[in-house]
Amino acid sequence: MKSYLLDSLENLFQHLAVSHKMFEPQSIPGSEDLHWLPSPKGPTSRYGTSKQVLPLAPAKGFLFPERELLFRFDGQTFIETLPEVAPQVLFGLQSCDLCAIAYQDQFFRQDSYYLARRKATILVGFDCLTPCDGGFCSTVDAGPFVRDGSADLILHPKGNEWLLIPASEQGLNAIQTLNLPPAPAEWRAEREQQQAEVAKMFPTDSHIRTGIERINQATISAEQWQRLGLQCLTCSGCTSLCPTCSCFTTFDTKTEGESNTFVRERCWDSCLYEAFQRETSGHNPSKEAGERLQRYWFHKFSDHYVDEFGRYGCIGCGRCEETCPGGIGVHSIMRRLEKES
Amino acid sequence: MSNPSKKVINTICPYCGVGCGIGLQVSDGTVTGVEPLPQHPVSQGMLCVKGWSSAFALDPYDRIKTPLIKENGHFRPASWSEAYQLIVDSFQAIKQEHGPNALGLIACARATNEDCYAAQKFARTVLGTHNIDHCARICHSPSVAGLRQTLGSGAMTNSIDDIEKADLLVIFGCDPTENHSVLGGRMIQAQQAGTKLLVVDPRKTRLAKLADLHLQLNLGTNIALINGLINIIFSNGWEDKTFIEERCENIDALRKKVAGYPPKRVAEITGVPVDQLHAAAKMYSQSERTFLAYGMGITQYTSGTNNVIAISNLTLVTGQIGREGTGINPLRGQNNVQGACDMGALPNVFPGYQEALDATSQEKFGTAWKCEIPQQKGLTSLGMTSEALNGRFQGMIIMGEDPVVTDPDQNHVLRALEALDMLVVVELVMTETAKVADVILPAAAFAEKDGTFTNCERRVQRVRAAIPPPGDAKTDWQILGELAKLLGYDGMQWPNAEAVFDELAQLTPLYQGMSYDKLELDNGLQWPCNDATPDGTKLLHSGQFSRGKGRLIPVDHTDPAEMPDSDYPLYLTTTRLHYHYGCGSMTRKSPLLERETPSGVLFIHPDDARKLSIQAGTLLRISSRRGEVETRAVVTDDLPPGTVAMPYHFKEAPSNLLTNTAQDPVTKMPELKACAVKIEVVTEQ
Repeated sequence: MKSYLLDSLENLFQHLAVSHKMFEPQSIPGSEDLHWLPSPKGPTSRYGTSKQVLPLAPAKGFLFPERELLFRFDGQTFIETLPEVAPQVLFGLQSCDLCAIAYQDQFFRQDSYYLARRKATILVGFDCLTPCDGGFCSTVDAGPFVRDGSADLILHPKGNEWLLIPASEQGLNAIQTLNLPPAPAEWRAEREQQQAEVAKMFPTDSHIRTGIERINQATISAEQWQRLGLQCLTCSGCTSLCPTCSCFTTFDTKTEGESNTFVRERCWDSCLYEAFQRETSGHNPSKEAGERLQRYWFHKFSDHYVDEFGRYGCIGCGRCEETCPGGIGVHSIMRRLEKES
Repeated sequence: MSNPSKKVINTICPYCGVGCGIGLQVSDGTVTGVEPLPQHPVSQGMLCVKGWSSAFALDPYDRIKTPLIKENGHFRPASWSEAYQLIVDSFQAIKQEHGPNALGLIACARATNEDCYAAQKFARTVLGTHNIDHCARICHSPSVAGLRQTLGSGAMTNSIDDIEKADLLVIFGCDPTENHSVLGGRMIQAQQAGTKLLVVDPRKTRLAKLADLHLQLNLGTNIALINGLINIIFSNGWEDKTFIEERCENIDALRKKVAGYPPKRVAEITGVPVDQLHAAAKMYSQSERTFLAYGMGITQYTSGTNNVIAISNLTLVTGQIGREGTGINPLRGQNNVQGACDMGALPNVFPGYQEALDATSQEKFGTAWKCEIPQQKGLTSLGMTSEALNGRFQGMIIMGEDPVVTDPDQNHVLRALEALDMLVVVELVMTETAKVADVILPAAAFAEKDGTFTNCERRVQRVRAAIPPPGDAKTDWQILGELAKLLGYDGMQWPNAEAVFDELAQLTPLYQGMSYDKLELDNGLQWPCNDATPDGTKLLHSGQFSRGKGRLIPVDHTDPAEMPDSDYPLYLTTTRLHYHYGCGSMTRKSPLLERETPSGVLFIHPDDARKLSIQAGTLLRISSRRGEVETRAVVTDDLPPGTVAMPYHFKEAPSNLLTNTAQDPVTKMPELKACAVKIEVVTEQ
């Protein structure tokens, strides 16, 4: 696809804002932490060469909300409640999170609720020119530069200007009327070269590589998992913040004041809960915390899932490390696996 | 396109005293989820399972949305004015006939400081009584009483950050990974980084399993154990002689007392082998910095206050206090139980622990509040229920607590509440206590109001409204202000939460230097915060103790009031589960938390289970001298043989039908941690 020279992010942002609701990571009063929020005023100044910071909560909820109404039952019939989503733009996604959305696209490919939200959404990704704290996207093929096919529009900083790559039909349509000039021919090649340089800036990932190897070769004993499992406080933070985690459960709520009418909702579930796999009989194939931990990391790093999804379930964002109270997020656990092998 | 209604409100988690920062995601006026806050000084991007589930607690479906009046045994919706009038008429009649001490109020450790301040002011000015209490009575009243005697202040001496500064963590009678998970998690992470961990608990808790040393003492033998440790410390010269000399008093009496606790005798009482006692005494005294944390396994005994004093003795003789990384840290249970105590929602103190019956304090508050301060001593919560049964107490307001489920001896509590002429319950949902009310008033939840919570490290933090309250619901201080006006008192007409805070800060020396503007900066301030310490205080007692010298008070081991015997051969202790909070009125609204555990369980050791032919899931009848309850068995060697345990969260299997109301003589703390029971298998059809 052709690529363009963009001299002002502001122009692109305002152009998209004409027909889309705009969202981007922003801080809120009383804190510098970033959250995905509506952005009526236009792009923040954090893009380009400044140090990358990931919002701790990924954009997952825009497409797969923490809670979602599935249908109503009025006593007689079931009434489907597909979401009506106005066109929206997620502006400022990093490559890791875009890889996660591409992963979710596969998992939810037949889920009409997810698809209704996904079809209304344009993804605008930015190449990261520096590693973020705790990130290891380059180890798991999820960054630091945006992968083809994972975004609708890709932005790559070039001094005060931008290389704009429309990476999908939807992306191309969205910028058509901007009449942008083509980018200098050599910019694409320079981008490739720069990605290799940025990848070298990441700290050592030997523990991640060793851990992945041990998980795939199944050289971790049940006792070792059990010891690590003692540190799992079942908070569900890792699964809530993991941008590729997609497990949900459903529950019914009786409508207030009416007899025999219910709504069914789904909400994020966590495979670390003891009851996640418990069967009605009481039998539980993963009763011990160690077994649940083993399964979680297997889902993130097993080669089995590469066949199904084309990549690992981990996109190297490091959010689990940041949120895990028990000290068994990805870096901690991989270091233990490296040390205790 | 138009600006979509989606925002994140920076506030404080409503569960437990750790006080984690939490971002509430709000979409179209509904809280749809939560986000952790990486820059929050306490939680640092972490939350526990309850915090992650807190959006469910706000679901409007079962919320009480209008005032409700009971007629012929059923509740009907009513207007505020009708409900208020009923209360006013009844309270005025009670006051006229029986005097102000026939009325009282239970405040709520889940409510804001502003709510708690309003509650105690309402009791003392409008009702004209010191009959004001709250659930600190059944969690940390012995900490407040014990540490005030020995140190002069009953709060955590250190900050949560000190966990990472310690060389040794001592966890006494609690499992922070269950009840204070983020703090417990920070302990695990500290241990991973090289800090030693010593756990003293009758149960094999998670931290006990991870610990470098676990002393699995018999239930109710804390004082014997601690006296034994001090005995070993003295015998080996491991005490901090300089610290004792310079900063403590009454050492000789303590030496004399602990001489009666030689290791062999202590091993017999506690069941802890002598070599483990020796190792623990050495670890504790010889570590550079020991961060000691304790919980309900210390306080919920008839010996609660003495248990706290014993802990204090241990820290004082070893000089493990008054420096960064070392001190005594009672882990407060509820999000604002520290604040509720600070606000004087207790019968014996005004805000800031100023004595209720002291003439100077009385003059100060009488002038500020423009009223006559009552002279008669106030009743505790259990005092009020007992007086109700004696016919001397007729009218009560309960703000957001559920004593029917959470207080000992449910039958006693129910009979007492039913004996009242007027019971007003201010609540979010129809709790077991609300069901016996005459009038229910709908309250605003944590995400529906502005205010402050004070966490266990004395950090006063802003709570911010994310959504409006459902229906007619109002905040506690608004409700009490309106009732006050109808009862003829004008001093509680605040325009907003900030005005309440400004008033309370002015009257509470510990909070004097605080304002909403100052709390906005840097996620709150730790008390004391005043002219001398405008940026707050991370560490208490560094130069000298609040009371001057640290007082060593000799205490003796006493058995729990009820011991196992041939009729009731097993010890029952009560516990909490990670997934639930208090009476479950908030956590049990989450389908995920509700799925995690059955509605009530009894934990029993495999040896005891075998003797009684009990398997996992067997339906059991558990009886004590006070009542009986049916629930199912979980067989686990996390408990010692001879002791069974039940969580207290479940109204379907209320452990408090069984528990004992025997009380600590100082604080009236009931002995929730130990009573005698028998167990029978129920034959199922």
